Amino acid sequence: MNAPAELKWAAKYPELGTGPIPVDPCVSPEIYEKEIEKVFMKTWLKVARVEEIPNNGDYKVKKLAFAKTSIILIRGKDGQIRGFHNTCSHRGNKVIVEQGEETFGKNKAAVVTCRFHGWVYNAQGELVQVPEENKFHPCFEREKNSLTSVHTDVWEGFVFVNLDRTAEVTPLREFLGSYADHMGGFPYSEISHCFSYHTELKCNWKVAHDAFAEAYHVSTIHAGSFPNVFSSGLSDVQLFGPHRTTAICLSLDAEPTPVAKIANSLVTGSLVSQRGASMLPPSVNPSRRDDFSFELSVMFPNLLLHISEGIWFTHQFWPIAHDRTLWEGKYYVSKPKTNSQRWALEHAQCLQRNAWLEDTATMEDTQIALESGAKSVMHLQDDEVLIRHGYKVLESYLNDE
Amino acid sequence: MSTTTTSLPAHLAAFASQAAEWALGTQNERQHKRLHSSREALKSFYTAAMPVLPDILAYVDQFPLGQIPPEGQPVFHIALSLAEVAPHIELYRGDPKVPFSFEESRFVADHGAVVG
Repeated sequence: MNAPAELKWAAKYPELGTGPIPVDPCVSPEIYEKEIEKVFMKTWLKVARVEEIPNNGDYKVKKLAFAKTSIILIRGKDGQIRGFHNTCSHRGNKVIVEQGEETFGKNKAAVVTCRFHGWVYNAQGELVQVPEENKFHPCFEREKNSLTSVHTDVWEGFVFVNLDRTAEVTPLREFLGSYADHMGGFPYSEISHCFSYHTELKCNWKVAHDAFAEAYHVSTIHAGSFPNVFSSGLSDVQLFGPHRTTAICLSLDAEPTPVAKIANSLVTGSLVSQRGASMLPPSVNPSRRDDFSFELSVMFPNLLLHISEGIWFTHQFWPIAHDRTLWEGKYYVSKPKTNSQRWALEHAQCLQRNAWLEDTATMEDTQIALESGAKSVMHLQDDEVLIRHGYKVLESYLNDE
Repeated sequence: MSTTTTSLPAHLAAFASQAAEWALGTQNERQHKRLHSSREALKSFYTAAMPVLPDILAYVDQFPLGQIPPEGQPVFHIALSLAEVAPHIELYRGDPKVPFSFEESRFVADHGAVVG
């Protein structure tokens, strides 16, 4: 039996309970539909970084399969980023032809033009030009046929949209609450050299999310890439409304491999090394413990944001169906200054990719096994408290009328 | 910067031609090559490359980032291949795959086709 004294997170957050968690939310198409309606169509979702569209007139189109739409994010001449459905007001064609999940483009005049009949919209979404406008009937009013806008806002360089059709939504900063105080102030924009991966996983978005939201799996799943590197327990867990965070620590008894030793001496690029705390916000690793590796935080509903000295990375889980998820993993380091640093980053990043290949290996098997119906609940230990909190929050959103 | 010191040292030129099959410009190519090499091939590449790695890094650092001259590109790309291969020798007991991993070909690297 576990000694109750070790169950510190249950003691800190008794409102989360300690019982088993139903697996229905991972296998039920009906619950999936409710999640889309009550969570994904109603909350703020990170869709870009400001550095992806740095200049006025730059735009990004992000596909959002769960909402059967894609969103144009365009930076206007005023520097403001605004979001619109990528749907023409004429006969509904996509204004911007997309390539894959994300499409990038630029226009000096900060306008977008539908390829079908040449309707032109400015960065405020206004329809500014209609070829042969005089042939439209008197009931057609150009002023009333702007692109359909979506709520768009920016926090710390992260661009968010909220697809809620109501005119007023909870402001982004209010939605983030004290999570924003905890994770704000990190130099995200300066650490902008990005390695980015994505794949479609045949599993529920929470199966993928949960696999990344604990350190209990590290000694088994990462026995290959991170042997004896990380502690399995969590430190400094904090809950902020629907959001949550924890510190992940090093075990400090791992000897770096020969190539890792050379790479770590050249550049800050790997989580597998002690790297100080000069850039961490004060509430992250508040006691400045020297075994701290990275902060693992969950921005509800679908973004894991991790920060560490000189490194930050994200995992994002986009629902496609109850058993299909688009996963995006992005790893950010400082731009290399020398060719040898460029080499060292290659090593750190390949190792990180390999660890993510280990993480994603379980997910489709978990889904298949859950779909069997053999188990109706899952059991969570104390250091899986972030997962427990996630299901609790989701339940409250689904029950909210 | 003196031009005499920046030419490719003879032993690195010799190594570059010996390991020419690993002079691959993109991460996708290096990953593909590693994944489809035998254990023996990975081991012998690692063993041959490790002793010259410090010299390669010292050589490439004579040039500003991204400005390695054409004669030095192959040896730099070989070093990047070593970065790709090293975990397989040092951590995965020579396995060309990441053991117990997701299918690598389904992982799309948005940066994977960039040369360098």
